[in-house]
Amino acid sequence: MGKNSITADGLVKTFTKNEKKNRKVDINAVDGISLTVKEGEIVGILGPNGAGKTTLLRMMSKLMRPTDGMVSVRIGEKEITDDIEVKRHIGYLSNNTKLYGRLSTRELLQMLGVLYGMSKEDTERKIVEIGKILSMENFLDNRIEKLSTGQTQRASIARCLVHDPQVYIFDEPTLGLDILSSASIIEFMKKERERGKIILYSTHYMEEAEYLCDRIVMIYRGKIVSEGSPDSLKARTGKNNLREVFAELIAKEGMTDEH
Amino acid sequence: MNIKIIRTLVRKEMLDVFRDKKTVVIMLFIPVILYPLIFLGGMQVIALISSNMEEQNYRIVVDAADDGAFARMLAKRENGTETSDGREASGEQADGVEISDDQTEGVETSGGQAEEERYTITLVEAGGIGDYETALNDEVIDVYVSGRMQDNKMNYDVYYLSSAANSSYAKNIVIDVFEEFRDGLTEEKIREAGLDVHEILEPVLYEEKDTASSEQSLGSIMGSILPFMLIISLMMGTMYPAIDTTAGERERGTLETILTLPVTNRQLIISKFLTVAAIGIVSALLNICSMGGIAFYMYKIMDMQTDAGSFEISRFLPAILVGILAVFAFSLFVSAVTMCVTAFAKSYKEANNYITPLMLVIMFTGYIGFIPNVELTQTMAMIPAANICLLIKNMLLFKIDYTAIAVVLISNVAYAILAILFLSRIYDSEAVLFGDGKNGMQLFEKRSNLQKGGVPTVSDVWFVVALTIVLVMYAGSMLQIKFGLAGVFGTQLLLLSVPLLIVIYTKRDLRLTYGFRKTGLKNYLAAVLIATGFYAVNTVIATGLSVLFPDSTENVVTVFDNIMSGNIGGVLFVIAFAPAVCEEMLFRGLILQSMKAKYRVPAAIGITALLFGIYHMSLVKLIPTGLLGLVLCCMAYRADSIYPAMLIHFLNNAFSVVISRGPEKLKDLLPVFYQETLGFGDVMLLLCVGLILMGIGLFFLEKGRPGRKIKRKADRA
Repeated sequence: MGKNSITADGLVKTFTKNEKKNRKVDINAVDGISLTVKEGEIVGILGPNGAGKTTLLRMMSKLMRPTDGMVSVRIGEKEITDDIEVKRHIGYLSNNTKLYGRLSTRELLQMLGVLYGMSKEDTERKIVEIGKILSMENFLDNRIEKLSTGQTQRASIARCLVHDPQVYIFDEPTLGLDILSSASIIEFMKKERERGKIILYSTHYMEEAEYLCDRIVMIYRGKIVSEGSPDSLKARTGKNNLREVFAELIAKEGMTDEH
Repeated sequence: MNIKIIRTLVRKEMLDVFRDKKTVVIMLFIPVILYPLIFLGGMQVIALISSNMEEQNYRIVVDAADDGAFARMLAKRENGTETSDGREASGEQADGVEISDDQTEGVETSGGQAEEERYTITLVEAGGIGDYETALNDEVIDVYVSGRMQDNKMNYDVYYLSSAANSSYAKNIVIDVFEEFRDGLTEEKIREAGLDVHEILEPVLYEEKDTASSEQSLGSIMGSILPFMLIISLMMGTMYPAIDTTAGERERGTLETILTLPVTNRQLIISKFLTVAAIGIVSALLNICSMGGIAFYMYKIMDMQTDAGSFEISRFLPAILVGILAVFAFSLFVSAVTMCVTAFAKSYKEANNYITPLMLVIMFTGYIGFIPNVELTQTMAMIPAANICLLIKNMLLFKIDYTAIAVVLISNVAYAILAILFLSRIYDSEAVLFGDGKNGMQLFEKRSNLQKGGVPTVSDVWFVVALTIVLVMYAGSMLQIKFGLAGVFGTQLLLLSVPLLIVIYTKRDLRLTYGFRKTGLKNYLAAVLIATGFYAVNTVIATGLSVLFPDSTENVVTVFDNIMSGNIGGVLFVIAFAPAVCEEMLFRGLILQSMKAKYRVPAAIGITALLFGIYHMSLVKLIPTGLLGLVLCCMAYRADSIYPAMLIHFLNNAFSVVISRGPEKLKDLLPVFYQETLGFGDVMLLLCVGLILMGIGLFFLEKGRPGRKIKRKADRA
């Protein structure tokens, strides 16, 4: 068991929504979630649309400030809570993190290197290394807007890799990708787990989560409904696959009125 | 603040913006290629038109019972006689005059090529045209001249059709000839009488001598073009990058990416701002060079024609230097302001919608600088856009005022910094980053989507504040200058109606927004005591300030005296009653109530009081009015009603009116209020009496009903 980890402690995020009749209603998109992911572990966040997955991941990667609770990263003996410092150890990827189309991947990575406080040599070395790992040497200097979907996704992963973060937070990384592209992302996550990285990701694909995750956290309406390894979840509910477990748990909450 | 991070971010923004062709086109193509092209092309077209202008034939009827001398003179008329230059330029003499014996065919004069136009005159026999009015209307003839003898003098009438261009031209020629004809007759008569023609006709000689140096005349030409061009080109230059780095970034979805980086919001905003400002500066300088070059070239051409002396470009050095500094300062201002607007937009389209009114306001403001007699005063130096225009104009006219230069430059930079600080706070809020596009500006939302009730949002209030300040600044001062006291009342009505319309449009609750709540009688008593006490205290402060800043005070007093000199009832109504209602409804109503709903109470009161002070737009009045604002805010807050504040405001202003317009006896009774300086004893007396009265007032003051307080707190939460 390694020492690096990311911890969410009692996270709450409240949004104020305008309802009818001039009443403002507070909605807890995330309602008291505590969670720790340790190194060498892939944790999958599962939940229906609107369950609070994205909000949770945004807060854990310090893009969004929680209404209550806190997020900290432990690297070795050091406990880090400062927003900017935590961001240095996180590689965050979502469908909303688009890349600068008018820059080339190389320029983007060089810029990121400076912003992450890396030396020029380190950055250049890293770019060569990433180019090899993601086999993107032949389009490193092309403008990103000219890349194909799969190439763009690889460039996005390259963006998360450049500062060699300890924590990966991916929000539905395989959404809308073809089998080959999503397979390469899954392979990538497995490899990074072997290197002792902390991986937290959300998905709608149950089979993928079952195959990949060491632990699954099911959330519904901002709360954790159930948590455990895919096998233990199956055992607990007496179901054969995760899809059924998921349906069972949501039904059990007695709140299938979601949209 | 990490320089390296900012530098990298700026580099990224620059790359991002410059790799877009639109920016490059707007920045380079327009000033470097388009302007000179348009200018040179225009010159070519003009030359082409003038060389190809068709020879005009003007048909003129002279129907006069004279000896025919005028008709002969008219027939001899040729274009070349108008200007000696024209004849030289044409290098061609008139073909000569051919007067046919057959009068029905008319007389034809063919002129040589003149500088302005070529024409011939055909004299048409009166008998052949029938009714002259019909002939004029049908454009068979261009001018009809009739003449008859009256009192021993020839009386000519020149009929023409002003709606037809040819007729008007022909009439001008006829009038010209008449003048020559009359001069000739005059000379003849004088000679006949045996007198010296020159002595009679020119008893005195005069000549115009322009003392403006050639630099000054060039400066005045450039001063009337360059500043406005500069403002427009700066806005054009900054507009696109401002949209691209804010709304564009959001539209392309890279905003969330950049937020994953270990970079603070302020670093982000500052680097975006620097990028936009830098592009604005380069673009504006290119524009100025291009337009300055054209102006210079035009002047050179005129120079050759008028033989004016040559000039030294070095005399323009101060103007050029200050001009460049002004470009820097103004581009900071424009960038910051446009970014404040575009940062709210989610897309290019939306940003464009937001930016258009802003550009109009800036352009309009800049135009103020061109109104004749508007000088670069202390106040004008604080008004963005107008101050830049005036400053550059003055510099080009060699009117150099270092204080004004400093005020203009510093105020522009200061506004820019304020706007950027404001923006980095706004950008920090997640509503802007992840929001659903609702930016808190209810005013720009679809009205049917708005829910009734509540107080306006703070964003709306800022908009109202900006709008009313602009209104008061321009419309208000114009109204006051033009209509005096009635204009002051008009300004007050503007102050009331514009925000009120916005409040109604956004479906806010009027009672909540304006704080129309009943309050105890004791609070009104407290208001009277506090108003009286505060007036005493404020007299000390105002007198102290007038000793410190005598010049500015004098200014204020003159304006005030002008307005005060009306019917006392009217003055009381306009100076005391109207502001008590209108200004209170805006400041202690709309602004204070909305601020209170968003910020903590001390902050809300502070902001409102400061705005109240600023709104009076005078450095000397800032402190006393700010203090009055503070008292009024506290009153409105504690009483939880606007009415006592209105009473204080009324009394305060009424005291001023009574002091300046009241009976003479008052001067003997209360001399302290009339003195220009105060002795130590007076100060102590005023302060003591004032503070004691205010203290008693506070004692009477009761808080708003507790039940309501709790309910309002719940509303806020």
